[in-house]
Amino acid sequence: MPLGLYLSVPFCRTKCTYCNFASDVFSKAVFQRYIDRVCQDIECCVATAEQMGGRLERAADSIYLGGGTPTVLEIEQLERLFVTISQNFEVSSTAEITVECAPGTLTDAVIETLRRCGVNRVSLGVQSFVDQEAASVGRLHNRTAVLNDITRLRAAGVTNINVDLIAGLPHQTAESWGSSLQQTIASGAPHVSVYMLEVDEDSRLGRELIAGGTRYHAHFVPDEDLTADMYLMACEQLEAAGVRQYEISNFARDGYESRHNLKYWTRQPYLGFGVDAHSMLVNAVGAVRFSTPDALEEYMAGKGLNQAAVDRQDALEETFFLGLRLSRGVDLDQVATDFGSGEVSSLAPVVDDLVKTGLLERRQEIIRLTSRGRLLSNEVFQRFLAVDRVGTGVLARPNRTPSV
Amino acid sequence: MDATFLRNFAIIAHIDHGKSTLADRLLELTGSLTAREMQAQVLDSMDLERERGITIKAHAVRMMCTAHDGQTYQLNLIDTPGHVDFSYEVSRSLASCEGALLVVDASQGVEAQTLANSYLAINHGLEIIPVINKIDLPSADIPRTKEMIEGAVGLDASDAVLISAKTGQGVPDVLEAIVKRIPPPKGDPEKRLQALIFDSWFDPYRGVIVLTRVFQGTLRKGQKIRLMWNGKVLDVETLGVQSPKPIEVDELKAGEVGFLIANIKNVADTKIGDTITEDANPAIEPLPGFEEIKPMVFAGLYTVDAHEHTQLREALEKLRLNDSSFFFEPESSVALGFGFRCGFLGLLHMEIIQERLEREFGLELITTAPGVRYKIYKTNGEMVEVDNPSRWLPQSEIARIEEPVILATILTHEEYVGGILALVEEKRGRQKTFEYVSSSRVMLHYELPLNEIVLDFYDRLKSVSRGYASLDYHLADYWESPMVKLDILVAGEPVDALSIIVHRDFAYERGKALVSKMRQLIPRQMFEVAIQASIGAKIIARETVHAIRKNVLAKCYGGDITRKVDIPQEAFLAVLKVGEDSS
Repeated sequence: MPLGLYLSVPFCRTKCTYCNFASDVFSKAVFQRYIDRVCQDIECCVATAEQMGGRLERAADSIYLGGGTPTVLEIEQLERLFVTISQNFEVSSTAEITVECAPGTLTDAVIETLRRCGVNRVSLGVQSFVDQEAASVGRLHNRTAVLNDITRLRAAGVTNINVDLIAGLPHQTAESWGSSLQQTIASGAPHVSVYMLEVDEDSRLGRELIAGGTRYHAHFVPDEDLTADMYLMACEQLEAAGVRQYEISNFARDGYESRHNLKYWTRQPYLGFGVDAHSMLVNAVGAVRFSTPDALEEYMAGKGLNQAAVDRQDALEETFFLGLRLSRGVDLDQVATDFGSGEVSSLAPVVDDLVKTGLLERRQEIIRLTSRGRLLSNEVFQRFLAVDRVGTGVLARPNRTPSV
Repeated sequence: MDATFLRNFAIIAHIDHGKSTLADRLLELTGSLTAREMQAQVLDSMDLERERGITIKAHAVRMMCTAHDGQTYQLNLIDTPGHVDFSYEVSRSLASCEGALLVVDASQGVEAQTLANSYLAINHGLEIIPVINKIDLPSADIPRTKEMIEGAVGLDASDAVLISAKTGQGVPDVLEAIVKRIPPPKGDPEKRLQALIFDSWFDPYRGVIVLTRVFQGTLRKGQKIRLMWNGKVLDVETLGVQSPKPIEVDELKAGEVGFLIANIKNVADTKIGDTITEDANPAIEPLPGFEEIKPMVFAGLYTVDAHEHTQLREALEKLRLNDSSFFFEPESSVALGFGFRCGFLGLLHMEIIQERLEREFGLELITTAPGVRYKIYKTNGEMVEVDNPSRWLPQSEIARIEEPVILATILTHEEYVGGILALVEEKRGRQKTFEYVSSSRVMLHYELPLNEIVLDFYDRLKSVSRGYASLDYHLADYWESPMVKLDILVAGEPVDALSIIVHRDFAYERGKALVSKMRQLIPRQMFEVAIQASIGAKIIARETVHAIRKNVLAKCYGGDITRKVDIPQEAFLAVLKVGEDSS
C-alpha cells in the first residue's frame, strides 16, 4: 500500500493566538539547520523504519507539507525538500501533493515553485472572511487577499483548494459566521475544513480563556453552545451547497476528499518528517506508531522517537475512533471479519446504548455518528476504549454525573 | 510552707494583651529562670499556641519571691486557656486560685473575652488586680483604659498597676500587689483530702500528668487516692511542682498547687473538675462545680485521599490521648467515603484539631459544614439528641425540636453598632442588654442560636466591625425552633455530605444559594443534570446544568491520532467548599 508522506514546517511569521501547535517564529538561520535535519531524516528513513519495526514502502501517493507556514521557507529550501523526497520515494504521477499556505504570502515566485515541485493542492488558512475576526487572532491577511490568492492559484492551475475555517473566534457571531460560510461557498473551493476553537493550555488564547482574562480578545469569544451551533450551521450550509461532510471537520465536493488525510482515518500507512511528525507503518504483527519530539529544540538536539506498538486491542479501538470520524461510518461486518465476531458482540451493548441516546445511528451493520454524536464524538469514542487503558474508571461510566 | 505565705493566682487577658510576656517577666524577676534559660514565652509551649498567640493547655508554675516585708512567698501562677471554647477549663483553673491579674492593653482596652473571664473570676470570689500593660506605647490611653475597666468589668481601677511587660517597667509592683492584695488560700492540711483536677495531659513517657490544687488535707507520694466522679483508685507515684522545670516533692498541702503522676493511661479518666480524695479516708463530698464536658460543634472529617483513612483514625486517636474534650466516631458518606463524625468544644477547637491533623500528621482533609446538637422530641414522647444531618428524623416523627442557644457578649466601638445589630438580628438574635461601658464603647448581650454562630458569624462580625468587635459566648439555653433538614440532590440523588440543618425560614434562601453555586461548579455532562434543594419530598430550589454540547477533537495535526480523553473533573471538593463557604 503506497505511503502518505508528511513534512512538518514549524515556522510562522507570527504565531496566532489560538495556535496550540509547535509552530513559532524563528530566524532564517534556524530554517536552514532544520531543513538539513529533515532531509537527513528522509535519507535515513530505511534505518528508522527498521529500528521502529515497521515495513517501509517506497511508493508514495500523497505528500502533505504542513505547518506552521511552509511557504515562509526560501524557494531553495522548499525545492530541496521535494527533491529529497523524490530521491528517496517513488512518488506516483497521480499523487496528491498538498501545501498549507497562509493567505497573503503567496508571491508569484512561490506559486511557480510549488507548481514546479508538483504541488496540486493548496490548503489556505483563511479561518474567517471577516477581517476583524482574522485580525483579532493575529492572522496577517484580509478577505481581499484570500480571494486574490484563490484567483491566482487557479490561474496557475491549482484548482484543488481547501479553505480552513474556525468557528468560535473572538467577535464571531452567528451572522458573521454565516457570512464567512457563504463567501467560502461562493469562492468555489472544493474542499473546506471547519474546526472549532480548541480551548486548552497549549495556546495563548486558550490559557487566557481558562484564566477568565481579557487578553487576546478572550472575552469576545463566543460561548461553547454558540460555537456548537455554528458548527451545525456549517454542516447544513456546506451540504446544501454540495460540499459534503465526509469527516467530522472536513467537507468536499465529490472527488475532492483529501487522500492524505483519509489515510489517517482509514489506518493506512504514513510517514512523517520534522518536528512533532507522526508515522504509522504496518508490520507482521499489526502496526507501529511513532513520532518525533514536539519541541523544536528537542527535535534538533536529536532526541529519540516515541514508539508505540499497535496491538490487536489498539487496532480494534482505532478502527472505531478513527473510522467513526468518517461520515461513511464503521461496518461492523468488516470489524467482525478483521477482529472476530466476538469483539463485535461484546461491543453490542455500547452500540445499542449510543444508538438509544442518539449519538450513533445504525443501518444494518453500518454505524455512524449522528450530528449530535459528531459534536460529542469524544464521548462516543471513549465508550469504545477498553477501560483499563484509559487509566481511570471514570470512563467506565461517562454518562453519569461526577461521583457526587 | 505555711499557707499564709502562699498565693495562687491566674492571669486574665485578651489575646495579644501581654499575658505570656508578663508571665515571662515574673519568672525572670523571681529568679525561677535565668534570662539564658528563657525561651521566649515559656508558658506557650505548643507550636500552634505560639503561632496563634493563645494558650491552649493550662500550666501551673511555682515562683518564690521575697516581698518588701522581708518574707518569702510561694506564688503559684495558674495559666488559663485564652479562648471561649475552653471556658469550662478556665472556670476550673480560676477555681484553683484566690486571685487574678486582669491584664488590659492600654491602647486596646477591655475585650469581650477578658470581660467574660473577669465575670467568671468575680463569681468565684477571686480578688482581681487590674494591670494596665503596654503603657510604653505612644497610643496608650491610661485614663480611658481605667474608665473601661470600671465601666465594663465594674472594678475599681484607681489602684491599677501600670506596667510594660516588654520593658519590665512596673513589673515588681505586680509581685508586690499579688502578695499584698490576694488572700492566702484557706484549708486545713489535716482534714480529709480534697484536691481539684484543673488540667491533665498525656506524656508519652510518664502517662497522664494531672495538675491539681489541694483544697483540704494533704496529697502524699505513695498515697492511695480515689477520683470521686470517675471512681478509679490509684497510687500516687510522683508528686511535683513546675518551677517551671519539674521538681519532685513528697507532699502537696492544702492551698498548694502541683502535678501528680499515678500510672494513668487514659486522659479521659482524669476529668477536669474531678476531685481527688484519699481512698482510705475519703471526703464526704466532691468539690463543687464539676461538669461533664460536652462537645458543642460537630462536623464530619474525611481524608481527600481515601487511602489515608487509617492514618486519620490513628491521628485522631493520638490527639484524643491528650484531649478528652474532643470526640469522634466512624461515619461514612456515599459522597466522601469513610470518615469520622467529630465533636468539638467550639469552632476554635475544631480549627485547632483540623490544623494539627494537617500539620502534624500530614493529612489533607475535607470537612463537612459544621453543625450543632439538637434535642428532638418525638411524637411518641421520646427525646433524642441529633448532631448529624444523616440521622435526622422524618418530619412525621418529630413533635418539636430544641436548638442550643448561647449568650454572646460583644464589645465594640459605637460606630460599628449599627452593622452588628443588623447582623445579630439576621442571625435570629434576641437582645438582652445594650450598654455603653465607656464614652465610645458599647457592650451587647445577645442570645443567639449556636447554629447561626457556627455558620459564618465570626467572619461576618469581623467584616461589619472592621475587626473592632470582640466576642465571647457560653451555652445559655435551648429554644424550640422549627429546624428542618435541607438536602441537596444531584440528578435526583441526595448528596449526603451536603445536607444541613437549617431554620425553616432560612431554608429557601440557603437552598437557592447552594444550588446556584453548585450549578457553576459541576462540570457539564452528556445529559442535563438537575441540582435541587429539598426539604423531605418537597423541592424548594432547582438549577439545571445543561447538557454539554460539544466534546470533539477537530484536527489530527500531522497524523497525530493521540487519544485526547477529557476526564471529568472531580467536582466534589469544589462542591463541598461551597458547603463551607455558604455555611
